[in-house]
Amino acid sequence: MTQPQDEMLPISVTVDGRLETGQVSSRTLLVHWLRDDLDKRGPKIGCDTGNCGACTIRWDGLLVKSCMVLAAQADDTRVETAASLAHDDGSLNDLQACFKEHHGLQCGYCTSGMLMTATDLLESGEEITEHSVRRGLKGNICRCTGYENIVRAVRAAAGHDVEKPHGAAEEVAS
Amino acid sequence: MILPPLRYLRPGSVGDAVHWLTHIDGAIVLAGGQTLVNALKLDLVAPTALVDIHRLDELRSIAVSPDRTLTIGAATTYAALAASTDVRLTAPSVASMAAGLVDRQVRNRGTIGGNVCLNDPTNNFPPLLVALGARFTVLGPEGTRTIDADDFFVGTMTTALGNGELLVSIEIPPLPRGARLVHRHLQVGADSWAMARAVVRIDDDNGVVVASRVVVGAVLGSPQRLRLVERALVGLPTGGDLDGAAAEAFDRESIETVGDVHCSADYRRQMSKVQLRRALRDLAKGTPS
Ligand SMILES: Cc1cc2nc3c(=O)[nH]c(=O)nc-3n(C[C@H](O)[C@H](O)[C@H](O)COP(=O)(O)OP(=O)(O)OC[C@H]3O[C@@H](n4cnc5c(N)ncnc54)[C@H](O)[C@@H]3O)c2cc1C
Ligand code: FES
Ligand code: FES
Repeated sequence: MTQPQDEMLPISVTVDGRLETGQVSSRTLLVHWLRDDLDKRGPKIGCDTGNCGACTIRWDGLLVKSCMVLAAQADDTRVETAASLAHDDGSLNDLQACFKEHHGLQCGYCTSGMLMTATDLLESGEEITEHSVRRGLKGNICRCTGYENIVRAVRAAAGHDVEKPHGAAEEVAS
Repeated sequence: MILPPLRYLRPGSVGDAVHWLTHIDGAIVLAGGQTLVNALKLDLVAPTALVDIHRLDELRSIAVSPDRTLTIGAATTYAALAASTDVRLTAPSVASMAAGLVDRQVRNRGTIGGNVCLNDPTNNFPPLLVALGARFTVLGPEGTRTIDADDFFVGTMTTALGNGELLVSIEIPPLPRGARLVHRHLQVGADSWAMARAVVRIDDDNGVVVASRVVVGAVLGSPQRLRLVERALVGLPTGGDLDGAAAEAFDRESIETVGDVHCSADYRRQMSKVQLRRALRDLAKGTPS
């Protein structure tokens, strides 16, 4: 068998609305290129085996786990990370605000992936129920929260009247 | 950088893909990458080059012919199968299987071709496609050939594909009038890995079972047809005690299972029987596939 070779390939990818170009090795994973070369820290590396969903992004509009995509495959495509979610002035969008309000995170490691998946679910037009949210988030693992507050946050973002977490303080604008 | 050194090739056509697969020693197909990329990380495979087929439109079409045969391109994703009206109408079991696979992210990438070419014993599609009597169209250096499901799956993680061959499409013939099919799974969690899997199809003519296909997955050599169970069902009234006949014949089948972190080999074997019996009861109740 011929000796395996490594090659450098030019890629250009629109990441969070900005065209990024670079040279990548044929064996670089997309998640590594985004984090190490572009300093986009939205996608996290959790399990590296496709199970945890911490690396979730949208790729040409489709929700995917970026630890199972080669950077070279992304040439001439569009990538959205969690950094694309907040408003232009940096304020939180509705879903992010609901995660905050409902204590949908603790250490925060899973959060950017959770937000990407929840965004995809909310935009899909599927009916939002306790069950559909749990099923929709199946590809994202959280080791901290026990999921309860994440599910509530997503339902609240869909307009459901959801109980606030224990001890939540009302913030009243004066 | 955790993958081994390799070349990345993106063919512009199915012909180019086969050319590279044939002429580059050690080149293999990259489809959805939902297994392959992880296998590369773990050094379980050592290809010299990946031939990426995921952008080839030729491999992503879904078509229904006038006789209601469904033809699915090998690189069609689970999400595309689940969303297709053609698939839902002509082969609802394929659509429901696709909709229940893994999670949103993996459904957007995993392909039916990758699922069957891998033929992991726990994979969802191999047993179903055997029960449906699917045919596999393969393009290789010697041209095109078509392989029946019974001959396509040749053993654990092995298929009839030869060197340089690319699975192009999967053809699913319409079920004969009166045929019904049910798939049943015992999974680690919802939409998750199977500990046991059974697919049962019975073809009914005037209230009598005239043919049947009974296939289990998640066993060694999956997908495995249970010929003794199939024979036990043929000739029985469709409304009769199919469950009892199948249970008795199941005990005479030689089925090999292995234990893993989820369950013991013996439990897995017992659960295969349970899934088979539940599938037959679903059929008796008229639960649609
Ligand atoms: C977290 C997780 C859980 C999973 N759970 C399940 C599960 O419960 N059930 C299940 O069925 N699957 C499961 N999978 C696997 C998933 O369905 C894979 O997508 C599938 O097994 C392979 O499909 P792929 O398109 O990703 O193929 P790839 O990973 O790209 O390829 C798989 C193999 O098939 C070959 N190949 C692919 N396409 C062709 C072709 N057209 N012609 C010739 N060779 C080809 C490749 O060379 C490779 O050897 C899971 C995956 C993940 C990440
Ligand atoms: S790091 Fe990609 S799924 Fe866990
Ligand atoms: S908040 Fe820590 S993993 Fe989810």
